[in-house]
Amino acid sequence: MIPFDWVEPASLKEAVSLLDADDSTVRPISGGTALMLMMKPGFFVPSRLVSLAKIEADYSSIRAGGDGSLRVGAMTSLAELERSAAAIVNFPVMKGALQTLSNIRVRNVARVGGALAHGDPHMDLPPLFATLGARVSVVGPDGTRDIAVEDLYLGYYQTVLKNNELIAEAIVPPLNGARAAYKKITSRSADDWPALNMGVRLEMADANTIKAARVVLGAASERVTRLAQTESLLTGAIVNDGLLKRVSESAAAEARFVSDAHGSAAYKRELLRVYLPRTIKEALS
Amino acid sequence: MTEMGRSLPRLEARSKVTGRADYVHNMRVPGMLHAKIFRSTIAHGRILSIDTSAAREMEGVHSVLTGEDITRVMAKPYFGPAFHDQAILALEKVHFIGEPVAVVLADDPHVAAEAAKLILADYEELEAVFDEVEAVTSKAIVHDELKPAGTFADLKHLAGRRNTNVTLDYQLRRGDVEKAFAECDHVFEHTFRTQQVLHVPLESHASLAIPGHDSLVIHTSTQTPSFVRTEIARLLGWADNRVSVQVPFLGGGFGAKVYVKMEALAAALALLVKRPVKIALTMEEQFYTISKHATTFRIKSGVSKDGRIVARACDVWWNGGAYADIGPRVAQKTGFTAAGPYDIENVRIESTEVYTNRPPAGALRGFGVPQLVWAYESHTDMIARALGMDTVEFRRKNILREGRPQATGTAMRDAAIDKVLDCVAERMNWTAPFDRGAGAIKRGRGVGIGFKASISPTTSGAIVNISADGSIVLYTNTIDMGQGSDTGMAQLAAEVLNVPAESIKVVHGNTDVAPYDMGTLGSRSTFHMGNAVKLAAEDAKAKLAALAAEVGLPEGTNYDVKEIFRKRYGMQAGNVVGVGTYVPRYTPPDPKTGQSDNVTPFWMIGGTGAEVEVDTETGHVRVIRLVNVADAGKPINPKICRTQLSGGAIMQLGFTLTEDMVFDGGQVTNPSFADYKIPGFRDVPVMESELVTATQETGPFGAKGIGESSTFGVSPAIANAIEDAVGVRITELPIRPEAVLRALRAAEGRPLEAV
Repeated sequence: MIPFDWVEPASLKEAVSLLDADDSTVRPISGGTALMLMMKPGFFVPSRLVSLAKIEADYSSIRAGGDGSLRVGAMTSLAELERSAAAIVNFPVMKGALQTLSNIRVRNVARVGGALAHGDPHMDLPPLFATLGARVSVVGPDGTRDIAVEDLYLGYYQTVLKNNELIAEAIVPPLNGARAAYKKITSRSADDWPALNMGVRLEMADANTIKAARVVLGAASERVTRLAQTESLLTGAIVNDGLLKRVSESAAAEARFVSDAHGSAAYKRELLRVYLPRTIKEALS
Repeated sequence: MTEMGRSLPRLEARSKVTGRADYVHNMRVPGMLHAKIFRSTIAHGRILSIDTSAAREMEGVHSVLTGEDITRVMAKPYFGPAFHDQAILALEKVHFIGEPVAVVLADDPHVAAEAAKLILADYEELEAVFDEVEAVTSKAIVHDELKPAGTFADLKHLAGRRNTNVTLDYQLRRGDVEKAFAECDHVFEHTFRTQQVLHVPLESHASLAIPGHDSLVIHTSTQTPSFVRTEIARLLGWADNRVSVQVPFLGGGFGAKVYVKMEALAAALALLVKRPVKIALTMEEQFYTISKHATTFRIKSGVSKDGRIVARACDVWWNGGAYADIGPRVAQKTGFTAAGPYDIENVRIESTEVYTNRPPAGALRGFGVPQLVWAYESHTDMIARALGMDTVEFRRKNILREGRPQATGTAMRDAAIDKVLDCVAERMNWTAPFDRGAGAIKRGRGVGIGFKASISPTTSGAIVNISADGSIVLYTNTIDMGQGSDTGMAQLAAEVLNVPAESIKVVHGNTDVAPYDMGTLGSRSTFHMGNAVKLAAEDAKAKLAALAAEVGLPEGTNYDVKEIFRKRYGMQAGNVVGVGTYVPRYTPPDPKTGQSDNVTPFWMIGGTGAEVEVDTETGHVRVIRLVNVADAGKPINPKICRTQLSGGAIMQLGFTLTEDMVFDGGQVTNPSFADYKIPGFRDVPVMESELVTATQETGPFGAKGIGESSTFGVSPAIANAIEDAVGVRITELPIRPEAVLRALRAAEGRPLEAV
């Protein structure tokens, strides 16, 4: 490994100042679980790593809002989130989903901000948060901007974040009675990146009528994607077998799939066909 | 007689969980240099030039060495247990992507690794071959000439052969297969394939060579210290006693650490630079070091109307990769049992191992037998189903029973095959109604049973040293790599000497002090070393009795051992040293027919029952229960035996469902453990491990080896259970959900699109 600078700023602001808008070899590091996988084979060779370990403790906190919302500091570990009463009481979907994000050794170390900023389409936190309508607060040299999680991703490992911007926290809006479910489907071992992951969030007008829907697909495609046509099919619809079949076909037609080591595009399309109705049923169960 | 059958906790467990146990990876000595390897980027080619200048100039680099440099200390730097085909660093040619070509030495391993990236090699590319069936007839020839090492008599006929990739052509003939096929009522033929996989010890290979005055000490993670010593001495033209091989604990071996791996390179480098040199491979380098054979197995059976298998023809192709390693022996030894544990009058077996331009394949837990059982137990199930017979009943009808001759002509002795099958069926509650599942989830169950001939003929030696205070040290070159051999060996010595096993100190893995042992491999240690330890302990006991008689104590006295020594030497002084060496008898098979009246010292028997749930809409297979049953003879330590069974079964579960070295033109495309998936806790089903009541008459106190037995039946039991659940047959490993869904959809007449 070629020697590189390691800096440990004491504040988020200082961390931002140590990053470089034009130099992608300068990167922030939080848990480092994903970055290390890129550094070991030499895919990423840093000139400077800006550790976020010593920034303000506030960025490691989880706070529940009185309205049922949740603010998650970027330096919160995945395991802390999964064990947070505020998170799992307000968002029952989180508990099961977070436990399948990765193995416990990674969950103990990986941070929420890093998991959202990395841009690997196989990760689970981005589609989970996108399903819940979460937004991130992003800090750069010119101030703070607010981005919906689903808008963070441009493509394979590509995000809208500039090299000198950092996710400071994520804000998950209250469920307000909406129903959500999340599925991670692997095709090799259980502790693996998914072949496909997906989430649905349904606001119900009554027991059977959907008022508003979010349907998010990850892993099977190049980036986290909301399936807009499928969402509009669901909106205002009455849930029955016929609807589930229609949305299943709609989603399979709408989504774009990539063949990779986890399965062919044809197989992933089939997984989506099967799992969309299953996920909707689980959300409503 | 209190130690046999005692589930004594492992003697080394406490030092391991408290971090006190030694591993080569942690060793550091003054002046030590770290070596990092530059590897071939092409699958087959002639080396035109190697440019090491940039690497040499990097700050902190001690030196950069190539195959030519190695010849300065080892004139013929080719090694291997079966063939002397493997250059320590590539000379003239490279044969697979990942082959070691050059080495950088530096005080800092990170500097060495960075410098290795600066080396440039220029090759003239040659045509390559990757498939085991194609390699038999391909124009691409991996090695110009076959060079048997001379160690194994059954490989000598291959010496000097040119223009071939075939490293072994084993054959067996029993009865008249063609006549039986012509006359029988049904003939079935199927072809099965297995993928190339890895051992994945959590400790990668590590060797530390320390040069001395006309001598060399090698601390290394090997399962075969005696072999390593002799092979390094041969390469150097030295007497064996100038090389000392020392082995602490191993963080797993599974066959990856047999024979020479990094030791020859470490030794050559240390002698070249006259400093201690350590090579510690990364986890990722395991992909380029040693693997398990990919195979193709075409199997054909003739069956009578009443469900008797009357003939079986087996053609097995073994993908040996670029170096033979021990692969030819895998092809030969598995040839004995390729027709399965059934009583079949007419058998023909061809077992062919070939060189290809893939990373080398060698021994891996089961030594080829799991690949065979995968095919013959899938095939056997398919026959039973085609005949409308219960799959267990069909096996029972054909099972090889005690005293009956097996395909090699050797009569079965102390082989509880029928008991293992019965026990699996009983634990599975086979005759009771079975819940078939509901909705998209269908349930099924299946069994698989296999057997293996032990390695033969091989030698083990042990020393038991009784000190003047009566305490006992056992010296053995059996390596404890997690299988609990130190504990088992201590129990054997303790049984003879009538002391508690935990009072015995076991010194393992040191060729300076412990006698010869062929190796910790092939489940041979309990039987071979166990017998040697028993003999050594008996020898010590007899010598102690003689000493007691010498000092005038009446026979059968219960005098304290200390008193005997004190009476003899006037103070606490002296030793009693007992020595034991064991080698079983063996009749080599006839090279033309494979027939022998004594082809193995003992048989290993293992059976598995699996229950699965298959998601008919996605193809996902969930193994919900695995019942593993084995014949351990009389188990020395039943608890360790059971954990061996569960460990072996989990390993084979990975080879069945998740693990796969994926290749693109000879390049492994998933060379990391983020993409090569071993099973995790959430993949492991309910496991049951059971030992049948049996005795190995020739084993130490009736015991036999068990380290591989639970690997046999897992893969076919799962495939058989899948067919039982959803009616489709998978013939290729690993069984991934997409393959199952594709098979399901093809059967429904609405196949899934290709991409």
